[in-house]
Amino acid sequence: MNKHFDISRFWMLMRLELVRSKRAIAMLSVIVFGMLFFVGMLLSLAVEKHTVVYDPEESYAFTLIVGGFVITSLAFSELSSKLKRYNFLMLPVSALERFLCMWILTTIGWILFYTLVYTVFSLVANPIGHMIYNKVQFLDFNPLGSFALTTMKYYVVSQGIFLVGAAHFKGYVFPKTLFVLILFAVVCGAIIYFGLRDQFLCDHYCNVSTGECELVETAETHVIWEIIQGAFWWALAPLSWLTTYLGLKGQEV
Amino acid sequence: MLKIDDLSFGYKNKQLFDGLELNMPAGNIYGLLGKNGAGKSTILKLIAGLLFPQKGRIDVAGFNPGERTAEFLSEVFLVAEEFELPAMAMEQYLKLYSPFYPRFSQELFDHYIKELEVEPGSKLQALSMGQKKKFLLSFGLATDSSLLILDEPTNGLDIPAKSKFRQVVANAIHEDRTFVISTHQARDMENLIDPIIILDEGEVIFFQDFEQVSQKLTFERMSDLPKDGDFIYAEPTFGGFTVVKKNQTGVETNMNMELLFNAVVNGKEKMYEAFTN
Repeated sequence: MNKHFDISRFWMLMRLELVRSKRAIAMLSVIVFGMLFFVGMLLSLAVEKHTVVYDPEESYAFTLIVGGFVITSLAFSELSSKLKRYNFLMLPVSALERFLCMWILTTIGWILFYTLVYTVFSLVANPIGHMIYNKVQFLDFNPLGSFALTTMKYYVVSQGIFLVGAAHFKGYVFPKTLFVLILFAVVCGAIIYFGLRDQFLCDHYCNVSTGECELVETAETHVIWEIIQGAFWWALAPLSWLTTYLGLKGQEV
Repeated sequence: MLKIDDLSFGYKNKQLFDGLELNMPAGNIYGLLGKNGAGKSTILKLIAGLLFPQKGRIDVAGFNPGERTAEFLSEVFLVAEEFELPAMAMEQYLKLYSPFYPRFSQELFDHYIKELEVEPGSKLQALSMGQKKKFLLSFGLATDSSLLILDEPTNGLDIPAKSKFRQVVANAIHEDRTFVISTHQARDMENLIDPIIILDEGEVIFFQDFEQVSQKLTFERMSDLPKDGDFIYAEPTFGGFTVVKKNQTGVETNMNMELLFNAVVNGKEKMYEAFTN
């Protein structure tokens, strides 16, 4: 038996987590379905009377990402309760197995579950919507389309931040993580603006006589922006996962 | 089985242990007694890997608890003073949790819940706190884990249940297992724990087995206190005193756990003298 990872123990943990959350999964399916149908479709069409085309992809991205962040924040909810922490920490599984189990459930698991519910929703809701609003054209939702796949990619990369929050904050994980994230963004934004403003300005051509400046390069092609993009796509997720793992390993009651 | 070397641990505003040493060979039911705040629960958490020492080393069956490996956790079962069970039926709990413990015995579990009078097939959330405790204790005993830690196990149990608890626990021990029971209700542990460990202000001030205590001390009821003051500790009782004295005759008396605890805590020096001479 491996000290850090044992496949049979991992499946036992996976089964345990799924059985424990089966009621929540069932409720979530109904809530997601209801919200998408009544709020996302009927209400939005009632408010925006001039809608000609209803594209389900628009709300897919927002709900997949925000819903996933909320679900991820609940990943280690037992750590928030003093009485449940014993049960959580004394279960004979390694920190790696704990992390992998929750990572799989909140990324692959959530994406599969949500995309399936969303696909079923669009198959059911589109004909109903068409009966009510017969002048609106309802587009089909393609779960394997480029928009859906890009959304999934963004979600997988960014949800690790909420996994970090779930492993480190005790209670109110979602708002606390959001708060830290916003604070971090404000600080970084301020540093970049005041510290690196000149570097960005170098990429402008200014006419001395008129005093007018012309953008030579777009910000997107600037080296700092490329570093930020690279960090987002390649460093953010692994760093978040490592921090989550270490957070789980260092848990005390 | 369990060895603590030079352990230091404290919370932000209070240092609790400084250079603590403890050695507990397997095959015994250790009783950890102490006043509230003496550090009983903290030491149990350190042993279970739920807290990490600041200095020193803990060894539990060859494992470092702080690493909290799955193998270590399958050899240690903790019944905390207060806990919450997941919302599921008893059978489902067994089905989901027992595979994590390689030596879990369904037969033994059935035996223990029958002995402790827990209704089989109940929903865990519907059980009273006492019933939940008996359920978790039965589960812990049935895991056959090398180390079973019970923190204030008799809290929430009624009088007949306390008696049953003592019987069941006493019958479940074997030479490869170790039980550590922490309590501040010394009387509940009579005829169960041996050796007795008493903690006070983060120090082990007493670590003796039952036989030693019986040989070295006597527990007597007297109408008056001995005139020569030759006693370790006395408590007024109805119509006289209960007195703890050095055993000078070699005749063994019935040990009164609560009195022993009070004697140790209130007369550390006299007690030390009684056991060293």
